[in-house]
Amino acid sequence: MFEFKFADIGEGIHEGVLLKWFVKEGDTIKEGDSLFLVETDKVNAEIPSPVDGKIDKLLAEVGDTIHVGNTVVIIDDGSGAGDITRGIEIKQEPLSEEEKGAGVVGEIEISSEVIESSDEGKQEEKEMKTKVLATPVARKLAKDLGIDINLVKGTGPAGRVMKEDLHEYKKKNEGIIESKYIKETNVFAQPLGDTFLKPEIKREEIKIYGEVERVPISRVRKTISENMVLSKSVIPHTSVMDDFDVTELVKLRTEQKNMAKEKGISLTYMPFIIKALTIALREFPVFNSSFDNIKDEIIYKKYYNIGIATDTPDGLMVPVIKEVDNKGILEIGKDIETIVEKARTKTISLEELYGGTFTITNYGALGSSYGVPVIRYPEVAILGIGKIDKKPVVLNDEIVIRHMMPVSLSIDHRIIDGGDAGRFLLRLKELLGNPMLLLLS
Amino acid sequence: MKQYDILVLGAGPGGYVAAIKAAQMGAKTAVVEAGELGGVCLNVGCIPTKTLLKSAKVYESIMNAEKYGIDIKDKNSVAINLDAMVKRKNQAVRRLTSGVKMLLEKNGVDIYKGFGEVVDKNTIKVNDEILNTKNLIIATGSSPMIPDIEGIKESFEQGYAVTSTEVLDPKELPEHLIVVGAGTISIEFATLYNALGSKVTILQRSPRILSGIDKDLSEAMAKVLTKKGVKIIYGVKHKKFEGNKIIVEVNGEEKTFEGDKILVSLGRTPNLKGLEKLNLETDRKGIITDERLRTNIEGVYAIGDINGKHLLAHVASAEGIIAVENIMGKDSKMSYDRIPSCIYSFPEIATVGMTEDEAREKGYDIIVGTFPLSANGKALAEGDRDGFVKIVANKEYGEILGVHMMASTATDMIAEGVMTMELEGTLEDIARGIHPHPTLSETVMEAAHLALGSPIHTLK
Repeated sequence: MFEFKFADIGEGIHEGVLLKWFVKEGDTIKEGDSLFLVETDKVNAEIPSPVDGKIDKLLAEVGDTIHVGNTVVIIDDGSGAGDITRGIEIKQEPLSEEEKGAGVVGEIEISSEVIESSDEGKQEEKEMKTKVLATPVARKLAKDLGIDINLVKGTGPAGRVMKEDLHEYKKKNEGIIESKYIKETNVFAQPLGDTFLKPEIKREEIKIYGEVERVPISRVRKTISENMVLSKSVIPHTSVMDDFDVTELVKLRTEQKNMAKEKGISLTYMPFIIKALTIALREFPVFNSSFDNIKDEIIYKKYYNIGIATDTPDGLMVPVIKEVDNKGILEIGKDIETIVEKARTKTISLEELYGGTFTITNYGALGSSYGVPVIRYPEVAILGIGKIDKKPVVLNDEIVIRHMMPVSLSIDHRIIDGGDAGRFLLRLKELLGNPMLLLLS
Repeated sequence: MKQYDILVLGAGPGGYVAAIKAAQMGAKTAVVEAGELGGVCLNVGCIPTKTLLKSAKVYESIMNAEKYGIDIKDKNSVAINLDAMVKRKNQAVRRLTSGVKMLLEKNGVDIYKGFGEVVDKNTIKVNDEILNTKNLIIATGSSPMIPDIEGIKESFEQGYAVTSTEVLDPKELPEHLIVVGAGTISIEFATLYNALGSKVTILQRSPRILSGIDKDLSEAMAKVLTKKGVKIIYGVKHKKFEGNKIIVEVNGEEKTFEGDKILVSLGRTPNLKGLEKLNLETDRKGIITDERLRTNIEGVYAIGDINGKHLLAHVASAEGIIAVENIMGKDSKMSYDRIPSCIYSFPEIATVGMTEDEAREKGYDIIVGTFPLSANGKALAEGDRDGFVKIVANKEYGEILGVHMMASTATDMIAEGVMTMELEGTLEDIARGIHPHPTLSETVMEAAHLALGSPIHTLK
């Protein structure tokens, strides 16, 4: 018997809603056949079977929330009945906010029954706890080593964190933890996924003075809110703004639009902006970095993956276009189309949502001019693009009509200063003001 | 042919506990025992000695009754009924061993009485019956070690030399008991016979008694015994036995000691007989095992005295559980750094963890807090002022590395040290825990306060 457990299908996914079963009990399946469709806070994913066999038992129903670690289906893979587990039920109880442990990897719920099958008599530990169980020495040691004890897997009884566990953790994360004081929010010290800052706010009941309707927020909305809180609480933002004269660019695009259309690409300004950005990022590497405030180091990334903030029916999503430095303008244009479409239809893969090094947000598409964009943690800058409009501009002491593009750049002021931001914008202005430079670079 | 998941060889405190645990975890289990259920511990070790020691304690209390304001007109009329003492001891033993039998049966463990001979790692022969097993747990224990000294064999044959087993069934009280060796067993019997009025002489090779425990404790115990009239001779080289005499060399001089009985208590030797076909890796102490109790043979585990790690019943039981858990697929490990050990002398001695010297040798930066019983209310009320509690802690976090105590009820008090260490507790935790008053347990709290540098009931 093979117990299929819902595994972490990607960074930060630790629960999802079962939308659809592709199999029923008694079905014969092959390795790779889809078992079920799960909706996570990022995507809808079809989960394939890792083994050949016969579906023995489905342990979740459509609409159930399944957590990473839950056994969802038992498959008879011919490995013998000796390994069968005894009647595991997925127990789903909604968690109250207070119950959710901060910084624990995924809130894994397990059945109330201890699973003791002969090949794995390991008792999974409940990880829903407000306070991590740890020995006094382990607590003191954690403090000394600057380790957030919530992140350490305890091997003691009931998952108690013992001093040995801290030594193990330190060994594993050697080179990551050196600072004596770690902010609990630092992603670098934390395992992938589910690491959002929960600021200490006095939670007060919201007073109500009339009729209301309470609507629970969607998963995507929750992710957005957590990401925004993280960004704004960790990164000291500041923004600089400017207007770029993009008359030449408008001309170039208008000329090339039809050529692109023949190739099936609707050419927007975005690929040009991305191209310009790539050149500027190479010249100002700090804008393509992350700040590791544990080791007090800047991580310069030698790859250029640009996130495109995308307005979808479910809320904001940021699909990422990979390796833009190796792509031409048309190719980038095509990529944008594909990926934005995927984001809007929720068919995007997790891989396409991660790995960004710099993000662009185009609120110009909705008619706005300026903004103060929020940086996508752990990136260090974000470029906001406003609506290109014809405006009267003074050029050689004459008032002329030019196509102007308002631009807002937010930076992480811990490692980037206003001067750098100004210079970075100037270079972008130059590149976008003279699109030939883009083609010749 | 009977087929088992787990077969346990030996039903002492290691074997029978392992068998019960195995059955509880769903394994088809059998236990094979050549002697009595309960092994040395229940039959000729822990339990019977404690029973006799209690009788001795009662006698000692009566003889010292005036200390508590009770006059006994004629102390000569107070008589020791040795037969009754031994009978009481046997009753206690019987009750416990039948309890073990009942527990094994109720848990569905098959019991085979007879000597289990290993044919191979999956096959055991008992009284011409062949048993098959997937896993084997060896729990055959140990026996008193008889050193090769001239004349010792004859002395045993004549009934002068005895081991701890025979000395539990005295026909008459020896006027003079010579104890060869000064380990736990020696000290307990020295205490017993001294309390019952025998003259006791301890002949010890090394320059201290109880060489395995904290130095301060062994010194204190030597003092207590000497005060009670026990003679301790150190630096002894055993030359030969001559019936009821033992000829030794002390400081280059030859000396002869003569007694009614000579208790030979120089350690124990593993019972490896019947295991020869397994080709187990062994050393001087016994079968070599790892922290999961695995031997060099796949599917063969060794627990208790037979692996020679710690010759203690409670270690055997703990190892039994760990071995079974490993067989059943649970990854469990023994931690050998938190093992309590007890000596049922008057007063008792109990220790857990590292001694002060060990901790220093291992390079720990330590703090030590020692609190005397003489500053404790309950100890004074009871008139048992001898002893102290000593806590050894790591300076860095105050983590408890060892607890060593001598007190009338030290063996019951040591559990606090064990538990604190199990939970990786600190001096702070012991000091903050509210200990009931008046109890001897307060001395543990006071020792912690002392180590932290702020004693309440004593001066620094």
